[in-house]
Amino acid sequence: MSEKSLYPGLNLGGTHGKAHEKAESTVFGFWVFLMSDLIIFGILFASYASYLNPMGMAGGPGPNDLFDITSVAIQTAFLLFGGIAYAGVSLGLKYEHGRAKLIGWLLVCAVLGAGFLFFEVKDFITQAGEGGTPQVSGWLSSYWALVGLHGFHVFSGILWILAMIGQIATRGVDDAVKIRLSMLGVFWHFLDLIWVGIFSFVFLVPLA
Amino acid sequence: MIKPNTGELDPQESAASEIKSYTTGFIASLLLTVGGFAAALSDLPTTWKVVLICVAALLQIITHMRNFLHLSFSGGQSREDLLLVLFSAILLTIMAGGTWYIMSDLSGRMHQTMDSVASAQSQPHSR
Repeated sequence: MSEKSLYPGLNLGGTHGKAHEKAESTVFGFWVFLMSDLIIFGILFASYASYLNPMGMAGGPGPNDLFDITSVAIQTAFLLFGGIAYAGVSLGLKYEHGRAKLIGWLLVCAVLGAGFLFFEVKDFITQAGEGGTPQVSGWLSSYWALVGLHGFHVFSGILWILAMIGQIATRGVDDAVKIRLSMLGVFWHFLDLIWVGIFSFVFLVPLA
Repeated sequence: MIKPNTGELDPQESAASEIKSYTTGFIASLLLTVGGFAAALSDLPTTWKVVLICVAALLQIITHMRNFLHLSFSGGQSREDLLLVLFSAILLTIMAGGTWYIMSDLSGRMHQTMDSVASAQSQPHSR
């Protein structure tokens, strides 16, 4: 990075003047929220790991009965490509590529996020049909809580993306929109980071 | 927090290095993801598979933090931000790691007791 960062995440940079300075405290505040979110996810990971044994499964279906590794791979690909697509938004915002490109990249992110959700919900429905509902065992409760919470975050992220598309279309790329897009970027990449933990520790380790 | 610097930056050079950083991060993430899945599907012993998956996951998390979230642990970052992230990481280690350690230790002890009770019951006349 050629200049000093005011806040974690891709900085707007000095050329954006006021928006860059205002972004400092706002994005920092958003990071405080994200870090508390990280603690929630961390605790859910810990309870998942604690229930990952025959007692935690309480005679209900286990990972080998319920998990579909192909579907997990597809979801991972959707989220990874959706995450990198946001680079188009961040760079387009910083170097002022114009509204059309910003909206285009945001739509790519939303579509890839929706693709991820489609396969995740499909898996949840299949698993519930096979008797893997949350009330069956402690392990299943922790699985639904952790993966479900992440899915809900992705859903919120898609709503946020759509809201930002609406704001760019109606009010243009003003300072407030720039700051919101910076926060959305941090949020969107953060979800990708949590998913790395989920596909590795929730799906791959029990199947190994 | 630190005042923004007013030094001129070369947008062209900065954009190129940022695109390079995203591309590096993307390729690394892709390889580590494929590596994790390949390890899980391989014929290696389970312990090795778990170790490989965990290493790939940790490396990918670091990649995401560096290249996508642009967290820097060596300067270029204001002190408060670094403190926030490090403090959260410590809390997370204590709470999540502690929970996992206590619960698995408890689980191990309970299994041990139940196993020894079961073996004592199944072989009542062995001694």
